[in-house]
Amino acid sequence: MSFFRSLVIRFYAAVLILIGLAIIVFALNLLPLKNINEALLYIQSNPHARIITGLSGLLLIVISSFLAQLILGTFQREKTIAFATSSGEVTIALSAVEDLIRRLTGIIPEIKELRPDVRATRKDTILVDLRVVLKSEANIPDLTARLQEITRAKIQEVLGLEGQIIIKIHVAKIITTEEKERKRRDSEKDEPTIPYGGYIRT
Amino acid sequence: MHKEESRNDLGTIRIHDNVIASIASIAASEIEGVKKVEKSFKSGLLELLDKKSLAAIKVEKDKNQEITISIPLIIKYGFGIPETANKVQENVRQALEKMTNITIKDINVNVQAIERG
Repeated sequence: MSFFRSLVIRFYAAVLILIGLAIIVFALNLLPLKNINEALLYIQSNPHARIITGLSGLLLIVISSFLAQLILGTFQREKTIAFATSSGEVTIALSAVEDLIRRLTGIIPEIKELRPDVRATRKDTILVDLRVVLKSEANIPDLTARLQEITRAKIQEVLGLEGQIIIKIHVAKIITTEEKERKRRDSEKDEPTIPYGGYIRT
Repeated sequence: MHKEESRNDLGTIRIHDNVIASIASIAASEIEGVKKVEKSFKSGLLELLDKKSLAAIKVEKDKNQEITISIPLIIKYGFGIPETANKVQENVRQALEKMTNITIKDINVNVQAIERG
């Protein structure tokens, strides 16, 4: 973290702490209302005090917007993977990598549902969290190992990245054949019947 | 929007940034593996009104009058991203240099999604 960035964050924290303290002082009635009123009247009546107050407000707005840009910019940067080529830069949205992983569902028939969450760290590492719903016939250790291998190979093949790829799998649910059958029956039940559907015109 | 300007004996020739963006968009779409060039929100609205649509390609000029282009792309599933992005950069550079004589500093490719071709 750069010195300037650290300074801005510390300043903002100090301002928020001051506001918090002021609220506590007000709540505990430590400062009489009369004194607060006098201070406000002094600021309002003295042109120099008004200028200082106005400038402080302006400074706070500038610092706030700077901090917001800093935070949003960092988030934006972390949502993409970038690499340089001879003609410029190539950035890949992490949502595109998630699209890619989602398409692996078709490759492994035991997977009913796959929800990936991809993050990139500053040390060229890609973290992939996979939330999977499996069919009951699946052998979990074998399947998860295979899924990790396929995911890693696909990311390396398509993105051409050489950095570390960490894949975590969370088996969220296992659907049994009875459950599937029940769901199928439920959906059939829910289908609206056509009035006089059984009658045939003669 | 800027305009690229060059002068000859008969007068000046100006090339609008939209023209550069259009050439880049067509050149990028020619590459196998590119599903489409992303459209901007503004171009989406214009398309709804049946008006001319522009891709969300950014054309920026720096202090030295050098141009940087940023192209948002959707890549077809099954194609290698680095190779496809490289081909896009090369094709866009060639097309722009051939058609406009403009030298491009950087062509940045931004892969936004992967879709089935």
